[in-house]
Amino acid sequence: MNNKRTHATNATAAASQGDSGMTSETKLARPVNCNKRGVNWQPARRRLAGPSPPLHSPSRIVRWHCWELRNQARNVIRNVHRRRHRRHRIPRARHLHESLLPLPSVSLRAVRRPPSIMANQTPAVVMDNGTGFSKLGFAGNDSPSFVFPTAIATKGPAGGAGGSGSGRPAVGNKPSFLTGGAGSGGHLSSKRGTEDLDFFIGDEAIAASGGPGYGLHYPIRHGQIENWDHMERFWSNSIFKYLRVEPEDHYFLLTEPPLNPPENRENTAEIFFESFNCAGMYIAVQAVLALAASWTSSKVQDRSLTGTVIDSGDGVTHVIPVAEGYVIGSSIKSIPIAGRDITYFVQSLLRDRGEADSSLKTAQEIKEEYCYVCPDIVKEFSKYDRDRSRFAKHVVTHPNGRQVSVDVGYERFLAPEIFFNPEIYSSDFLTPLPTVVDGVIQQSPIDVRRGLYKNIVLSGGSTLYKDFGRRLQRDIKQLVDARIRASEVRSGGARSGGLDVQVITHKRQRHGPWFGGSLLGQTPEFRSYCHTKAEYQEYGPSIVRRFALLGGPGGA
Amino acid sequence: MLLLDYQNVLIQSVLTERFSGAPPASIDQTVSDFDGVTFHISTPETKTQILLSIQIRCFQDLVQYGAEEVLQREYGQYVAPVEPGFDFSVMVDLENIPETKEERDALALKFALLKRNAMAAPFEQAYQEHYQLREEASKFTSEEAPQGVQEGGQVKAIHYREEEAIYLKASHDRVTVIFSTVFREETDRVFGKVFIQEFVDARRRAIQNAPQVLFRNDPPLELQDVPGVRNTGTGEIGYVTFVLFPRHLTPQRMADVISHIQTFRDYFHYHIKASKAYIHSRMRKRTADFLQVLRRARPENEEKERKTASGRTFKVQGN
Repeated sequence: MNNKRTHATNATAAASQGDSGMTSETKLARPVNCNKRGVNWQPARRRLAGPSPPLHSPSRIVRWHCWELRNQARNVIRNVHRRRHRRHRIPRARHLHESLLPLPSVSLRAVRRPPSIMANQTPAVVMDNGTGFSKLGFAGNDSPSFVFPTAIATKGPAGGAGGSGSGRPAVGNKPSFLTGGAGSGGHLSSKRGTEDLDFFIGDEAIAASGGPGYGLHYPIRHGQIENWDHMERFWSNSIFKYLRVEPEDHYFLLTEPPLNPPENRENTAEIFFESFNCAGMYIAVQAVLALAASWTSSKVQDRSLTGTVIDSGDGVTHVIPVAEGYVIGSSIKSIPIAGRDITYFVQSLLRDRGEADSSLKTAQEIKEEYCYVCPDIVKEFSKYDRDRSRFAKHVVTHPNGRQVSVDVGYERFLAPEIFFNPEIYSSDFLTPLPTVVDGVIQQSPIDVRRGLYKNIVLSGGSTLYKDFGRRLQRDIKQLVDARIRASEVRSGGARSGGLDVQVITHKRQRHGPWFGGSLLGQTPEFRSYCHTKAEYQEYGPSIVRRFALLGGPGGA
Repeated sequence: MLLLDYQNVLIQSVLTERFSGAPPASIDQTVSDFDGVTFHISTPETKTQILLSIQIRCFQDLVQYGAEEVLQREYGQYVAPVEPGFDFSVMVDLENIPETKEERDALALKFALLKRNAMAAPFEQAYQEHYQLREEASKFTSEEAPQGVQEGGQVKAIHYREEEAIYLKASHDRVTVIFSTVFREETDRVFGKVFIQEFVDARRRAIQNAPQVLFRNDPPLELQDVPGVRNTGTGEIGYVTFVLFPRHLTPQRMADVISHIQTFRDYFHYHIKASKAYIHSRMRKRTADFLQVLRRARPENEEKERKTASGRTFKVQGN
């Protein structure tokens, strides 16, 4: 959705960096189309300082998005054309990418500058706050330092009371001296003591909410921040208690879901720049970072930011097409089947069989340890009937020390099968994942479809099943081949060159967006992509509506 | 969370997990801490040997004030050859760690306190100096004490950040700790002043045995001859002075006092940020209230558009 704007920022970045000692190589990298087309490209400065797009009524938002998309599609198409021609002449894109990142076989550390040079440069902080879990860590590491639930436990009951909108007073538990005599004071505003610091985040929040006095809140819903009060305190605690960094010394790389409204970006920037005084920040789209994370796979040849991201977490599965680093917002599809549903399905199978333990926790353990994707259910059933050794036993140890053995059978391959045959689990959602992916790509602009088919990237915990990628690739290939054959028949004898379908499975899938952020955040040019505190103060929060594309061919 | 931890949570959790008998795995992580400290925790040779290195900006200062001895005392057998690019390294072999869980946890905590221990050296030295001076001073009455005893020891400067430093001065009846602080933000400076005023007043109001705290914008007298201290006259740099009295200086309380005073700057900045978050949440609440009022508001005479049966429209004044 920010695509067109971000294109504009490419130009801005290149222009503004020109005076800060950019190399000639980088100037070359500016997308050629940006200022040649006269239509909507106002001078960059004026666009930045000018009024933001009108976003008042829903209908205007929709209209504006449509306009955005049209422009963006046009740009994408133009870009692809240009690039295709250019690539013959100057192999620039490849070269830049190689300088940008280590080759897959080389470990991350190998390219890191020695610490003596880094002495004055602190590592960037990478924060990926998801609906369920937050992944926090430092750029350059290969795994996040902290992964904990995006939860905050505050004094008072859980639920809506904490919301900034509802003025309902929370019930104070003790009229302690901390409330400064306010007793069972209502909202934070009536508290004069240190109650605003009386909260926990992450695993500690879950633990605290088990006891009396604390209510549990999840400030992020559906990937978007809903409660800024809670989120601000969540961030403050993650920075000071867990990461232990002084925000003034570090640059931050944050993530956002696709289709995040720009207002949310602004709110985030306000908190980071005004509360925390962070040195600089960059907000990246999770799907784009997931694409960057896939560059570690040996299958990936050209490190482009074009591809389809299948992001399956706990609550929902998204299929997100990305062209040249820009999300094609109109074609995104969500599937209401994800990790939690698989767990429920395993649980229901255990219950049907009357196993001794069919708790959600057991179901989750079985899901994580035993499940895999099979090529063909019918054959797999008969394999199991022939070979009894495929049945496993899972031993559950209860807190009191008692051990219970649970049989693990067909659910090993049936559970992940709900992605491919949803009818075995759900009665209202019946489209298999491969069909959805195919549909998403077919809805995208025709120029990028080949790239989207060729680079289907998995991300998120629910894509980790063995052979998940292989099965998906096979099924999509079948759909594509059938369509090609049909059109060959219709055209009466024309032959198609075929279409390459490739699903990328790689080692960093679980925390894909975080890892992508870590990869891009450690590059020497990362800081030049960030907006700094000074820039924020110069332009105001609307500056974060646009970022130059990090890791893209147009930047660097 | 009112106080910050002294140890690095990440290092503690990584080591606790490793020590708990989890299968060996290779680790390679860069970890940051306050004041630009960088840790590197890795398994360079085998998966059972964990190397932890630290890089501190002011390590030269610390060595000058006896950091080597303190670290040697704390980490003795675990001290390892220093990893290139870092200042100090310790290595622990998973095959050679204490038996019981309590001891293992204590060991993990000890490694997580690496920064604290390194920074503690000058403080410990100041404590020792204070004990000596007190010993000598007890031989004299205040009038006839020779110069050195009355004035106390040299000022120790620890330049732990680019523009900020901690100064320590021991004398026979007190240890003075001075923090120089710089605020880049105007807002922060205001918050900081209010906050420090609370510190200054705390002793007057409730907590009598707290150390005395002073705040001023020009270098205190103790720092008059210290190189590198300049009086800009603009008030950008603030000096916070803590005066530790003999009751804080007992050997039993030494460890605690050192840990507390080390985290002062981080604590200070954390609370400035927390206050801002608090004010923001009040602002959000107030805005939400105003919005609610606006939503309830209705114009008294609303113009309604009506249609006749034939489709013509006309306007009616509400009642």
